[in-house]
Amino acid sequence: MAVTTAKSAHRHPVAPRAKRMASRALIYAALLFWTFICLFPIYWTVTTSFKSAVDVTQAHLIPWVDFNPDWKGWRSLGLSPDTLFETSTARSEFVNRFINSIITSVGASVLALILGSLAAYGLSRFRYKFAWMRNDDILFFFMSQLILPPVVLALPFLVLYKALALLDTTFGLILLYTLTVLPIVIWIMRDQFNAIPVELDEAAFVDGLSAWGAFLRIILPLAFPGMAAAFILSLVLCWNEYFFAALLTSTDAKTLPVMVASQTGSQGINWWSMAALSTAAIAPLVLIGIFLERYIVSGLTTGAGK
Amino acid sequence: MQSSVDIADAVPPKAGMKRAVRRRATVGRILIGLASLVFLVVLVVQVLHAAGAIAAGFSTWRPILIVYLLWAIAFGTAQVLIRGERGQRALFLLPAVFFTVAVVIFPTIFGLYIASLDWNLSSIEGPHFSGLDNVRAMLSDTYYWNALGNMVFYSVAVLGEYAIAFALALLLSAEIRARKFFRVVFLLPMMLSPVAVSWMIGKSLLEYRFGPAATLARYLGWDNPAFFASPWMARFTIQAMDAWVSIPFIMIILLAGLQAMPKEVQEAAKVDGANGWQSFWHVTFPIMLPVSITVLIIRIIFKLKLADIVINVTAGGPGGATDTVSSFIYRVYRDRSNVGYGTALAMVYLLLIIVLLTLVLRLSKRWTQRVT
Amino acid sequence: MVKQQEHDQHPAMHPTRRTVLKSAAGAAALGTTGALGTFSELAFAQANLRAEITKIPGVGKGAPTDADWQKVGELCLGPTKASIKEGEFKGVELSFMGLNNQNLHNLLFRGFLKPWEAYTGAKISWIDLAQADYNPRLQQAIATGTVDFDILEMGAPFEGDVCGKGLASEMPDWVKKQIDIEDYVAYLKPPVGTWNGKTYRVTIDGDCHNFNYRTDVFSDAALAKAWKDAGNTSEWGVPKTWQQVQAVTKFLKGQKFKGQSVYGYLDAPKPWGGFGFYFLGSRATAYAKHPDDKAWLFDIDTMKPRINNPAWVRAIQDVIDALPSEPADQLNADPNTTGFQQFLAGIGSMIPWWGDIGQVAKASDTSVIGDTVGFDILPGSDDVYNSKTGQWDKLPSGPNNAPNCAYLGWGIYVMARVNGDEKKHKAAWSAAAHLGGKDLSLWTVMYPSGFQVHRTSHSHIDEWVAAGYDRKYITSYLNSQFNSYNHPNRAVEPRIPGIFQYYSIAEDELTKIFSGKVDAQTGANNIAAAWEKLTDQLGRERQIGLYKASFGV
Repeated sequence: MAVTTAKSAHRHPVAPRAKRMASRALIYAALLFWTFICLFPIYWTVTTSFKSAVDVTQAHLIPWVDFNPDWKGWRSLGLSPDTLFETSTARSEFVNRFINSIITSVGASVLALILGSLAAYGLSRFRYKFAWMRNDDILFFFMSQLILPPVVLALPFLVLYKALALLDTTFGLILLYTLTVLPIVIWIMRDQFNAIPVELDEAAFVDGLSAWGAFLRIILPLAFPGMAAAFILSLVLCWNEYFFAALLTSTDAKTLPVMVASQTGSQGINWWSMAALSTAAIAPLVLIGIFLERYIVSGLTTGAGK
Repeated sequence: MQSSVDIADAVPPKAGMKRAVRRRATVGRILIGLASLVFLVVLVVQVLHAAGAIAAGFSTWRPILIVYLLWAIAFGTAQVLIRGERGQRALFLLPAVFFTVAVVIFPTIFGLYIASLDWNLSSIEGPHFSGLDNVRAMLSDTYYWNALGNMVFYSVAVLGEYAIAFALALLLSAEIRARKFFRVVFLLPMMLSPVAVSWMIGKSLLEYRFGPAATLARYLGWDNPAFFASPWMARFTIQAMDAWVSIPFIMIILLAGLQAMPKEVQEAAKVDGANGWQSFWHVTFPIMLPVSITVLIIRIIFKLKLADIVINVTAGGPGGATDTVSSFIYRVYRDRSNVGYGTALAMVYLLLIIVLLTLVLRLSKRWTQRVT
Repeated sequence: MVKQQEHDQHPAMHPTRRTVLKSAAGAAALGTTGALGTFSELAFAQANLRAEITKIPGVGKGAPTDADWQKVGELCLGPTKASIKEGEFKGVELSFMGLNNQNLHNLLFRGFLKPWEAYTGAKISWIDLAQADYNPRLQQAIATGTVDFDILEMGAPFEGDVCGKGLASEMPDWVKKQIDIEDYVAYLKPPVGTWNGKTYRVTIDGDCHNFNYRTDVFSDAALAKAWKDAGNTSEWGVPKTWQQVQAVTKFLKGQKFKGQSVYGYLDAPKPWGGFGFYFLGSRATAYAKHPDDKAWLFDIDTMKPRINNPAWVRAIQDVIDALPSEPADQLNADPNTTGFQQFLAGIGSMIPWWGDIGQVAKASDTSVIGDTVGFDILPGSDDVYNSKTGQWDKLPSGPNNAPNCAYLGWGIYVMARVNGDEKKHKAAWSAAAHLGGKDLSLWTVMYPSGFQVHRTSHSHIDEWVAAGYDRKYITSYLNSQFNSYNHPNRAVEPRIPGIFQYYSIAEDELTKIFSGKVDAQTGANNIAAAWEKLTDQLGRERQIGLYKASFGV
């Protein structure tokens, strides 16, 4: 509601100042409220990584006021200032997994974005016919790869990957993750391409460009907001994927989520190290979010130029 | 928006080049034939080797993957040679198709096979064929039906997530200060892994004694803020946690859609003197409809696979109130190693979703066409 | 084995707690004097070593660090040095699969094995699993032939799946000697760790449910007065039977202690990947395990489930009756919650658990209750159900106790795939023997490691006191452990394949019962029906055979 009033306020600059103020206030109230909803759990996670057991079980909230922050969670990972230069199995484990996570999720997202954008452009612009399958059926074929609960693919993939010698390889994991995010990329990108007027392609053809030329030079740059959104989504999904990571990796390709899950077991829950691990795990995603968010906005300018 | 116009079809092949085209086509066909032959020979050799019939062959099946890749490249090149411009267009789609087929074809076939087995990993006799017995057992499995019932609730709840996400997307595209800050912040919940969400939120923040949410609830006058003790409360809390994680997902796609929306359209609405609500309902919403349907369907599909949070936080309880099909299959397949039955359950579920999805897609298509 | 036979010969003997304690202490004394007599100098050096390692870093000085693990591993390298030449395993690469529980288990092993790797020249790569993934990963690796590890950390309940399928390597005699296998407590001796008469397991852990209670609650004068005021004739104190546990739990509802609401017994109704069933088991064994009968979970000749007999149904009903007196969110509590988020955080005054609680209450950062924990064997029952007669018996010796030997602990196993390679075989067993070393084990059971006492030599209270434990506290703790292990009527978990499948099915049905969807008897009947179906699926004849074998029949 706040939005619509705001818009109308914008549209009628003669509207009373008070009404406009009120609608602005509403907008910011809504924004701040949701900011709180988003940030509080993350604040809770980050601060928990500095808490001792007592501080956790007694619900202390504010560092230095309620409790004395300590490097506890980070120490257990060998990442606190005092342990940073000592040997730490937990740290080398963490660093190893962290690097693998980056390689796997970026690799899979990039691959999915390339394959997915091409297919989406094709599906958006041309009519295909493979046997009985038309565009919608093909799209549905991709989509259906999303549906099956991954758990039942455990045995088939174990057998397949064993035969292909892909067990415990980053490459194997990249292939699988690409498969899981490809349908989403295709759907998002197809909608993006559909939103870009066909006249632009036609103009490119008149200029003598081929289908590929038109795609690469004209259309792709316009589809950047969608690509940025799709990339962020793929990255997050791959980064947090747990099930296949636990199943298909052993030593060389292991990724972070299994380590987060390992913080609970027969000796309770190490809140602090789980919190520290989660914090460290979202840090790169946050950076990427900050960086790529710009490109979603860039849709504004390109859109205006249409 | 549904403008899949076949542009290139309008351009007829130029006359006079027919011979060259025909020669290229021949080369292309030969290329496909050769590549297929090589692929088949290598495959047969490897199958025989694996079966122990011949000594020649590879120690793993990985070379088959490479030969397949080469075959796919040859096939793509041949398409261009044979069909020219149309072949080039096929090249957009082929990589994704070949990739998907290569990765899923074996698991799908093998999965269907497993679904027809009575196979408990702990059984020393190993698997034996049981036909449709698993499906028959499913019909009388109260856990499965209970979980399916819960999925209806979870799926319907997606509409709520969508409404909130749309509102947020609109807020973010309004003219506000610190837009960048809010955008990034609103994206954050998506980034926490489901494992971390289940523990740090489900088990810590919502903890009955020390969780700040419980403290707040007590302050607001709820004496016993047990978020997971009664069926409906537990269901809502699980749904809220899942919504917290997934609203940014919906929001970001809607936002990208809003950004790609041509400015002229809104300007036009403004000129017509529509008020905020009218311009939203008659202009923005219809234009966003294709994107909305996409995101809703993707989101529902994801929701239908909801498992991690349920497994960690409630294990399906209390009394199956929060159980999802995926979390039930998870227990059957992993905790009970009953892989034949588990796979059969999932295959039926897959079938069910595909049928429903087809229906929804058909309906939505008709609806979209009517609205736009 | 020995204990078991003794028991067979005197089926009517029901020792009191004191006699059991005495026999345990006697066995312990025998162990030491034996060692002293033969190698007194060696033993002296060993005693020094034991004193030295148990002071790293010292109990109450915070959780041990990586450096501590390595130091302990280094100091305990003696037996390895005696049998292996320096650099003997150069070029050998081993793969080790185990758990990463809160950065313990595998991470701890890494620390212990680092000096071993440096000395022998072997290199170990690690596969760390979260506990929830452990069982499926193992089963699926076996089923698809993707066993890619040489050494495996595994619980005894899985022995049927691994050793029964010929995937493990038999323990060489030099390893048995190096780890002093005779030192294991009775219930962890064969048949546990063996299969068809062959020994496979290096035991590093002992698992049994004991009874943990709050000493301050049960010695509180105000509560004692309120107890009397409520019309109770008995003294206020730690319950010794489940009947008393129920009464105390209901009484404590609404009472205050140190200004806070106090609760009695804590049940764990939420499923926990099969492990939650053990906690119903702990309530049930005193009712269901008759001293004249070895079986308590299934009938011995037919595998007919006993879960729906009056004993088990009574235990289930106890949970239903107690839940209203427990915290409001109890329905969503699994054992991890009751143990670590409730009991160690000061909520609730009685829980059954593995020895972790006692080990953690003192030496880890997770606990806030410290010294106020007391320990005992699981409560008994005034009457016990006799499956043969269908009657409830009152035993002449008093209440029936039946400690629940749940899970039987973790062990290290070497996989059969190293058998072809002599050097690798020796290296793998040397690594396993190092981890299962007698002195090293003393350290792991004293400090947070996830492992509990499992050797007779762990019962020397002086060693624990020297490490920094309070004598009264540790005596209480060790007695509860050893008295459970050595109890003649202990209920030992059957090591049949798929045992966790039975538990997992039961957990699902139990959560329905506890949330009030079905009554105890109906729910129990459902479990029994599902178990029968599972037994048929797994192969009834074979299951019966293995079930009998697990009793040593």
